[in-house]
Amino acid sequence: MSIFGLMLITFLKLKWKSFFRGESVGADITTKIFKWFWIVYFSFIIPALGFLTYQVLEGSLEIEDPFLFINKQLIFAFVYLIVMRYFIQPIPVVSLKPLLLTPILKSQIVRHALGKSIFSFFNLIVFLYLIPLTFVLINKEYDTSQLIGWNLGIIAIVYITNYLNFLLNNNDKLLYSIGVILVSIKLLEYYSIFDFTIYSQSFFYSFYTNPFYSILPWVFLIWLYLYVFKYFKSGLYIDSGLKKKIKEAKMDNFLWLDRFGKTAVFLKNDLRLIKRSKRARSTVFAGIFFLFYGFIFYFQEDILGSSMTFFGYLFASGGFLFMFGSFVPSWDSQYYSLMMCQNIEYKQYIKSKWTLVVIGTIISTVLACFIYSFLGMEAVFAVFAGGLYNIGVNGHLTLWAGAYTKTPVDLDSSKMAFGGKKAINMKTVLISLPQLVLPVFLFWLGNSFYSFSIGCLMVGATGILGILLKEPVFNLIIKAYKSEKYSTLKAYKQN
Amino acid sequence: MIILKNITKKYSKETVLDITALEIPAGQTFGLVGNNGAGKTTMFSCLLDLIKPSSGKVINNEVEVSSSEEWKSFTSAFLDDTFLIGYLMPEEYFYFIGELRGLKKKEVDEFVNQFEDFFHGEILGGKKYLRDLSKGNQKKVGVIAALLGEPKVVILDEPFANLDPSTQIRLKEILKDLSKNKKTTILVSSHDIQDVTEVCERIVLLEKGKVIKDIVTSPKTLKELESYFKGELL
Repeated sequence: MSIFGLMLITFLKLKWKSFFRGESVGADITTKIFKWFWIVYFSFIIPALGFLTYQVLEGSLEIEDPFLFINKQLIFAFVYLIVMRYFIQPIPVVSLKPLLLTPILKSQIVRHALGKSIFSFFNLIVFLYLIPLTFVLINKEYDTSQLIGWNLGIIAIVYITNYLNFLLNNNDKLLYSIGVILVSIKLLEYYSIFDFTIYSQSFFYSFYTNPFYSILPWVFLIWLYLYVFKYFKSGLYIDSGLKKKIKEAKMDNFLWLDRFGKTAVFLKNDLRLIKRSKRARSTVFAGIFFLFYGFIFYFQEDILGSSMTFFGYLFASGGFLFMFGSFVPSWDSQYYSLMMCQNIEYKQYIKSKWTLVVIGTIISTVLACFIYSFLGMEAVFAVFAGGLYNIGVNGHLTLWAGAYTKTPVDLDSSKMAFGGKKAINMKTVLISLPQLVLPVFLFWLGNSFYSFSIGCLMVGATGILGILLKEPVFNLIIKAYKSEKYSTLKAYKQN
Repeated sequence: MIILKNITKKYSKETVLDITALEIPAGQTFGLVGNNGAGKTTMFSCLLDLIKPSSGKVINNEVEVSSSEEWKSFTSAFLDDTFLIGYLMPEEYFYFIGELRGLKKKEVDEFVNQFEDFFHGEILGGKKYLRDLSKGNQKKVGVIAALLGEPKVVILDEPFANLDPSTQIRLKEILKDLSKNKKTTILVSSHDIQDVTEVCERIVLLEKGKVIKDIVTSPKTLKELESYFKGELL
């Protein structure tokens, strides 16, 4: 058997053991099921998108040449791909360390790491989209051989972003400059000062008009691969490439928070956490994305109905709550024993977490109200009602579910979504049901029997009721935390 | 005074801690020695209500630790790196702990600055987060933070491990100074019997969760302990 075969078997064995001997076997299995659910979901939805793109562009949006339009938008798709990769796609660098002392050639180690990424989710998803799209285009009498050239060019660029990500890793500045460039392109286009997409469009379109041009990105891809290869091979020392990058530390005092009293002590730490831990930061970014979630449903209201639009609005103000809040108290998992020994009562600790989540939700609600004001007063009203519900009911429910969330969070890695695992067990699922289903149901009741505003009013009133019931609910939550304390401590130790 | 009454801790069938009665009077410097798996950390964790004992009670200055949180106001501890917050700078960490113990920033500064010598210029004013410090420096921060705010009870698990020789000597001096005032009860565990005999007035030897020896430190103690551990080898 080859050395790689042996390695694979050993690796799988270790994985098996770590899985079944772990503290949260049940949660792990549910997580795996969820993961596969998403994979199956995407492998249906993405090809479906590929099939439908042309039709939607031509039919609903009345675009003259949909293929040209696709080429015009491609630049944004690629930038989005880079950003998504940066935040989600893990780079298998740190895991290389133990291999250094094994009798495997260094170049083999690097080749293995770089090769593995070929089959990453982000690359496969592109194929899932391109193949059906191409079939539709052939059907619409675009030239087959020219389309093959176009596909090759696009695939090369997808892989260029793949290897670019290796170089981008941990380089926040580069990422932010990409973001700034993107926004300025959009703005210049919006105010019709300069339309960059005309050039990027003709660039991508040239792969179709002249398929031989697609050799260019392949040449660049090969050069980039060799560059990354060399870069990593020369960095295979624990004091260079494999070393964790240490950023120079800066003090943050957040004196303005002192008005919150003893809670402020914890709030300051949570702000520092968000600022300094990549994992926490990317979670908050994901929460910001939810601010715009409502639009997805708004534009499809005719198909999905107004209850789903309301669902979108609810998410708009709840992004921070759902993304960041649902990992409370796991954010403190690395030093939970310290928290349990300090001169502070459990109640105050939980209260500080609640305050953080509520402040985040208030900010999201204000921002969302502003954003959705473009859609009219009705939308603002709905967003505000959703915000009240998130503060009054969902804030409490999230904290309560937190008592049963026992998966430690590794603050130093940025793995999330597909790579990371979120503790899901029956209790947390049961608690989170009323977070989304109940408000939508309440809205549906009010909306279908009376009016849109009554629907919003019912949700908002429930939220206010939740705020008024804060004290007794808090006592219940603290009871749950206290009874779970020991098993939580034990589970967090498995970090 | 700290009292342990009939404390046992069992994991399925294995008993890892079994102490019928142990009293630690206020102001005592108490050393806990034993080989790996003797139950030292388990005992400290029970004292801090981090582990719930299978039976028995822990009473810390008249407070039963599992039913009231009062003990937190006068007890502090440093067991392992789960007592450090990786993304904080040492100063921020000291202020955080200090603030929880009711100290002002200035008071924290004053207290911490006394240990400038112990820190060897590698902790204060640096530009690193705790997660980026070496294990030894992390331990220094944790131990000094546990002394903030004049706690009545200080619990340190393996404070000497991972420290370089000069730091070990300084830490022993710090602990001896602290024990002089007879106000602070200090509980220390260690693998190194020499360190413990130098610092502690009383030494308890644990084996498989049971108290094997309970001795008042005297010039003969080191020999006595050494012969015990040698016997273990044979």
